[in-house]
Amino acid sequence: MYKIILAIRYLVKRQIAYFAVLAVALYVFTVVVVMTVLTGLVTDFKQKNHSFVGDCVVGTESLVGFAYYEDFMKILERSDFVEGISPVIKSYALVSPVESEQNLGVEIMGIDVVRHSGVTGFGQTLYYRKDDVSKAFKPVYAPNLAGCVIGIDLALQRDAKGRYPYGSGPTEMALAISCFPLTAKGALAKVGGGMVNTQTFYYSDNSESGLARVDSSMVYLPFEQAQLLCGMAGPVKRTNAIHIKFKPNVGLEAGCEEVDSLWQSFGREKAGEKQAYLLKNVAVQSWKDYRRAFIAAMEKEQTMMTAMFALVGITTVFIVFVVFYMIISHKSKDIGILKSIGVSNGNIIKLFSGFAFLVGILGSAVGLFSGWLFLLKINRIEDWLFARFGFQLWDRTIYAIGDIPNQVDAKVLAVIVLSAIAACLVGALVPSWQAAKQKPVETLRVSQL
Amino acid sequence: MLKLFLWLRYLRKKKIVFLSIAAVALSVSLLIVVASLFTGFINVFEQSAVETIGDVVLAPPIKFAKYPLFIERLEQTSAVSAATATLSAQGLLHLPEGNVRMVSIWGIEPGRRAKVMGFKRSLLKQKESPDEASFKVSGFPEDIGGFVGVGVVAAPDEKTDEYDLEAVEKMVGQSVVLTTGTVIENSKQEGTGGAGGRFKRKIVPFRIADIVFTGVYYVDKIFIYLPIEEVQKTLYPNEDGQVADQIQIKLAGDVEADLAKAQIRGVWQVFAAEQLGWGPYLIRETSIKTAKQMQSQYVAELRKQMGVLLLIIVVVSVSVVVLIFCIFYMIVSIKQRDIAIIKSCGTASSSVALIFVGFGACVGIIGSGIGAALGYVITKNINTIEEWIRIIFGLKLWKSSVYMFSKIPSEVNWVWALVFVLLAIAAAAIGTLIPAIVAARTRPVEILRYE
Repeated sequence: MYKIILAIRYLVKRQIAYFAVLAVALYVFTVVVVMTVLTGLVTDFKQKNHSFVGDCVVGTESLVGFAYYEDFMKILERSDFVEGISPVIKSYALVSPVESEQNLGVEIMGIDVVRHSGVTGFGQTLYYRKDDVSKAFKPVYAPNLAGCVIGIDLALQRDAKGRYPYGSGPTEMALAISCFPLTAKGALAKVGGGMVNTQTFYYSDNSESGLARVDSSMVYLPFEQAQLLCGMAGPVKRTNAIHIKFKPNVGLEAGCEEVDSLWQSFGREKAGEKQAYLLKNVAVQSWKDYRRAFIAAMEKEQTMMTAMFALVGITTVFIVFVVFYMIISHKSKDIGILKSIGVSNGNIIKLFSGFAFLVGILGSAVGLFSGWLFLLKINRIEDWLFARFGFQLWDRTIYAIGDIPNQVDAKVLAVIVLSAIAACLVGALVPSWQAAKQKPVETLRVSQL
Repeated sequence: MLKLFLWLRYLRKKKIVFLSIAAVALSVSLLIVVASLFTGFINVFEQSAVETIGDVVLAPPIKFAKYPLFIERLEQTSAVSAATATLSAQGLLHLPEGNVRMVSIWGIEPGRRAKVMGFKRSLLKQKESPDEASFKVSGFPEDIGGFVGVGVVAAPDEKTDEYDLEAVEKMVGQSVVLTTGTVIENSKQEGTGGAGGRFKRKIVPFRIADIVFTGVYYVDKIFIYLPIEEVQKTLYPNEDGQVADQIQIKLAGDVEADLAKAQIRGVWQVFAAEQLGWGPYLIRETSIKTAKQMQSQYVAELRKQMGVLLLIIVVVSVSVVVLIFCIFYMIVSIKQRDIAIIKSCGTASSSVALIFVGFGACVGIIGSGIGAALGYVITKNINTIEEWIRIIFGLKLWKSSVYMFSKIPSEVNWVWALVFVLLAIAAAAIGTLIPAIVAARTRPVEILRYE
């Protein structure tokens, strides 16, 4: 009990301890704000990637694709852990608005829009056909023509607030889309003068996935047409990937392992087939592994920022050390008295550790509260800064970021608070140890009183 | 003299002061490293733009003919050292083994281009050759030759982020197929229900004459270069004379960019009106910008991000002021007798205060000196440090695919370094203000009483 009383008493009476509280609060405030924003961005980016890909992908990086995918889809459909599957054609194409001299290199994705929307969040990225995704490839101005969905950044430019100037319907526009059709061996399927396949599609909708690279380079086409364009619709049809969604109760790793196991058996079963060599390049990946190259970059920035804060946080440890060193040097008589009545060295250390804990808790509480308050208003503050000074944290015409993320994550907060308390305990460790080592016979000498 | 003596004594006797020196050094070094990396990145980014497109780019709203005459006129002005034309398009490139890439095509004049920018230095095979850069492919004199970016034909290693240049050089001489296209006829198509026009795809088979490795990921990944005449023949077969859609210009010596732009615009106005017969609208809409101006929006964003990051570090570094305050408060509390003795000898209160403020400034000078040295060492060796992190932890922090360049810029920004050093000294002095006032207000009669 005396430990708690003394710890509270030191905190209240020794005003220098407030500086330690202030330092901890300042540090916690900064870390809470920065890490919340950063974590929010990373989480949002991951969620968008998950929504774009689905849970699992069976696919190859080669544009040649792989054969017998329909047989494997049947196996997946029969399994009890798969909720939906969607075959996807992926390639590069040249897009030219008809009657213009523009030529634009884009990525194309051939999808069965209903299947794909059941596996990924594609349906929700549409603007005009969000409520009826089956019509995504039917232009409202000419429903009988083959439509294409264009990545939003290819069609429209964001304004300063990150909004797109959508019209009441897609503009009537014909696009000539050309691809190199490839044979199963990777050679050009067509020889002679016209080595490319070209087909005209009509702009039917936009897709806003929130992923800048996707939205600025992707054109979505109906699966069968894309298959034809890429030369994959021969007697043995090919695709580039199968996207899979697991049932809600299936874990990501377990689901991917199941798919991998099915794929391995399927590969053995098809070993004797003519185009079985294409199956060797196919990998089964979870959405996280599939988008690793993009996600890892953001995660690394988060790691670097965390390392930087850990480095700067050393100063807070120093402050706690100095404050405790001062308090203990002023309280040698108290310590002498405590030890003379039988308090052990361990209890002296516990007393000052408790005090450090209090400093950590109080500093963290102040920092957390002010950080939370700041985050609550951060978008309003940015709006005000933009209206008054034209300042934005991110230029929304460049970055595909909406509001500044301000949802505090309990896990992140817990880690920050625990780190702050740990820093206080580490800072107080040496002074506490020195206090415990003091000898009452020296501190309570008449000459010292 | 007394002050110096006391400073040295306190420094020697009060080891805790070293904590404040360490904290100052830590903050200063971190600030210098962050500012240097950001400004280094911005400088390299701007320089890479100059290396890729020259000092100034003239881009009319539509392609134009007779560009050799315009270049000749430009080079007669005092502001322009050299100029070269480009004709651009987009295309798909088919490489062996089913590898298809989307590419940006630049029709260029290799010899002239080497005069405008350091283009030849980027050619893997020809950079050491004394001859002019050329599209000729040895053994295939009749074939069209072209340059391709290193990222078009290969990808950097996942772990080291380096290209296998030996394997890449083996691509030289290989035949590839490019497709691009243009509208050859504007007419309404029947039965389509919409606007029509006959878009003709063009196929250009060519041999890789050399590989371009600029070190700028984006440039290396998407650009291929063909003779400007071939691109024109493909895109605009019916066009008379030589056409271009951009002129890239190298400015002479130390000419001011604005002055040079004014001269270039003057030459362009006369040329476009006289030779092309263009009206005022097209002439006015012609963009004449420096490479830096073309990157200005992105650079402004980078500078803003740097500002925000520095602000965060500065806010956190305020705790250094608190630390110095605490340490000096402690020293003043412990050394009250010393202070009282000094004051009893007739030292003025302001002089006593100055002892501590000066000592604080000394801490700032020593700390920021160490911090600056540390910042310099870290920045200069940042690539080595990054490599060691990769080897020890398997974590590749810097990837050209994310940060554009293959090497981390490692130039120390001395202007920012000086600002941080001065700020650190000021912050250290501010941290000692209250303890110094407390020391100055010490009353010897109370401290030196016998009891």
